[in-house]
Amino acid sequence: MDLIAEGIAQAFWLLMKGDRGVFQIALLTLKVSGLATLISLAIGVPLGTALALGRFRGRDAVASIVNTGMGLPPVVVGLWVSIVLWRYGPLGSLRLMYTPTAMVIAQTLIALPIITGLTMSGIGQLDPGIRVQILSLGATRWQLIWLLVREARLAILAAVMAGFGRVIAEVGASMMVGGNVVGQTRVLTTATSMEVGRGNFGTAIALSLILMGLTLAITSWLTHLQQKGRPTAQ
Amino acid sequence: MLSRQSIKSSMRILLTALLLAVLAITAGAAAPTREVILATTTSTADTGLLDALIPVFEKKTGYIVKTIAVGTGQALALGGRGEADVLLTHAPSSELPLVSSGDVIERRLVMHNDFIIAGPAGDPAKVRGLKLAADALSRIESSQSVFVSRGDDSGTHKKEKEIWGKLGVKPSGKWYVEAGAGMAHTLNIASEKEGYTLTDRGTYLALKKNLALDVLVEGDAILLNIYHVMQVNPAKFSKVNGPGGLAFVEFMVSPEVQKIISTFGVDKYGDPLFFPDAGKNVDDLGK
Amino acid sequence: MISLKDVQLRRAGRLVLDIADLSVGRGESVAVIGPNGAGKSTLLQVMACLLPPDSGSLTVLGERIERGADLIGIRRRTAMVLQRACLLNTSVYENVALGLRIRRTPDAAIRDRVINALSMFRVDHLARRPARALSGGESQRVSLARAFALEPDILFLDEPFNALDLATRTALLSEVGEAVRSFGATTIFVTHDVTEIPFLSDRTIVMDGGRIVADGSIRRVLADDTRSALSELLRSASWLCGKDGDDDSEDGTSFPLADSKG
Repeated sequence: MDLIAEGIAQAFWLLMKGDRGVFQIALLTLKVSGLATLISLAIGVPLGTALALGRFRGRDAVASIVNTGMGLPPVVVGLWVSIVLWRYGPLGSLRLMYTPTAMVIAQTLIALPIITGLTMSGIGQLDPGIRVQILSLGATRWQLIWLLVREARLAILAAVMAGFGRVIAEVGASMMVGGNVVGQTRVLTTATSMEVGRGNFGTAIALSLILMGLTLAITSWLTHLQQKGRPTAQ
Repeated sequence: MLSRQSIKSSMRILLTALLLAVLAITAGAAAPTREVILATTTSTADTGLLDALIPVFEKKTGYIVKTIAVGTGQALALGGRGEADVLLTHAPSSELPLVSSGDVIERRLVMHNDFIIAGPAGDPAKVRGLKLAADALSRIESSQSVFVSRGDDSGTHKKEKEIWGKLGVKPSGKWYVEAGAGMAHTLNIASEKEGYTLTDRGTYLALKKNLALDVLVEGDAILLNIYHVMQVNPAKFSKVNGPGGLAFVEFMVSPEVQKIISTFGVDKYGDPLFFPDAGKNVDDLGK
Repeated sequence: MISLKDVQLRRAGRLVLDIADLSVGRGESVAVIGPNGAGKSTLLQVMACLLPPDSGSLTVLGERIERGADLIGIRRRTAMVLQRACLLNTSVYENVALGLRIRRTPDAAIRDRVINALSMFRVDHLARRPARALSGGESQRVSLARAFALEPDILFLDEPFNALDLATRTALLSEVGEAVRSFGATTIFVTHDVTEIPFLSDRTIVMDGGRIVADGSIRRVLADDTRSALSELLRSASWLCGKDGDDDSEDGTSFPLADSKG
């Protein structure tokens, strides 16, 4: 219990004195996970919609792959991305190993199946009559997708929150492809893990509180957006 | 809101946001020749020594160091694949194969610290003050007292296995707990279970105030934890930063750095964590 | 306006639509009736250019429907009302405005058309309500308003009264009939309830097994009723038809209107 009190105290102290190291770590956390979520959103929502609406051979196979991908262990993703990005790997010449870019790539691979899969299920749950109705109104393919995405916006926002929550909390992939290098690729999760390993439990708790605070702030904002879209009786 | 224009402009906004974010992330990548990838172990990094030394090196040479702190096995594997430029590790028996295969060159002795056997003040196995670590482990095994092992193939774990090997014993049973974790975790477990463990002195000192463990056995030559720095061979691995790696090797054995090493930790723990050994013969240590 | 020749459609190998020759002229209001699975809705979807036939020729609003045809353009001159309203998760006003927004009609014009359509079906007081909160009858009124707001050249109705309770159905039948007559839009009205037909149409097409088995004014079709398809339908509706006598005919296949006018 005293550890928690010590952690809270230390968190305040770090924030009050504007500890630049912690600030940098927190900022990088947001940048990496934010970008990964954004990319996953840009690819995942259209892809999920296409999978939900499309009728092509192999659709079920792709859908299974997406659903399996939702449960990928981050450390496995980290390992596979490392193998590709290592100097002597196929993309080694890009020199991305131990950079924030590599972390974004790994986190995108983790978030993408989640956002795609949940979008696919969100759109798939829409009344099929809505699609017929929208088409009969003369919508173009893009108008149809836009309208369906808007109609499924609650489910899609939930997908975004799930994807974001997953990647901002993961440590396995970030550690493997980022290396937790101070000032370059250290994020809140890898820093917390390191402090735990060193036995600095107070600092670890402080960092975890900051991480949870950030996650809470962003998720609250997304939840607010989501609930705004809910139908209410007037 | 449904017009092609408005859908297009939403897409445009999303793309711009993406582009800006990508730029923010990728900005500031250093040129390849300015980067040095140093692979070392978590326990080395945890001592904080590198936090003191790396900035000095960077300032002096202009290189940017990426310190990758992982398990001994992984650090040596990275070296063996040319994925790092220089290694700082403390598992000599595992390092030597890399030397003979030509994966590493310029392997130099840097420093040592030592391991101790820590245990409960009550000392049920009666090992306190024994001169030889092997004798201590032997008594622990025969009395079936709780012993917590790193169990993670780290340098510490390899050292522990080396001592068991000398006894010709393969420890197993309920008393032998394999933590599969870092040194701090392992110490905590030992403290909770009132058991024995093999630990490097540095981590023990750093955590001492939270542990219910005493130093029971120390000073045996086998308990020395010997650190070498070595350059990953640029002739064998063309993608390695040869000059950078060599610069770090020479930095670690330089008199200036050796002095820093000799006083590191004194202000915090009263005793230095390391003993500088550059230039010495490794067989002379501990005598 | 619409013409089909040798149009066929198969699903899982089965022939579900087989139309040798069908034409609907401008301003005509046609009812399509038949048992479940007769292909009525399929025919409607093909005519509405939502479902391409496997073979045959289809011409709608003067345009031959084939690869490269402007399907979106055709669809924007028609409107469809389904059995369920399928409204979007937004206000009633926005739902009715949807078709107009899709056609990028300017906002001022949208306002007028939506308000007119809402009052035509007596749901103006619901304009600001979330569409999901409406009852079945109210939803269907909104769906009809959505279709009529477009002032379509062709109106497709796919059993729109099927899911409604009797009171709402009766009220809407006369309202929609009135609207169809005053708009003069070409109307195709699918139903499986014979008693709904007179409100909206005169020409009746009977379908069975994907084919057209009868086509003509409702009285002639019903009188000329050696087809078992229609007998089934009449048997179930005969208790409603019994007020002009002959209500105790043995096999229940005689229809009073057919007898009285010949």
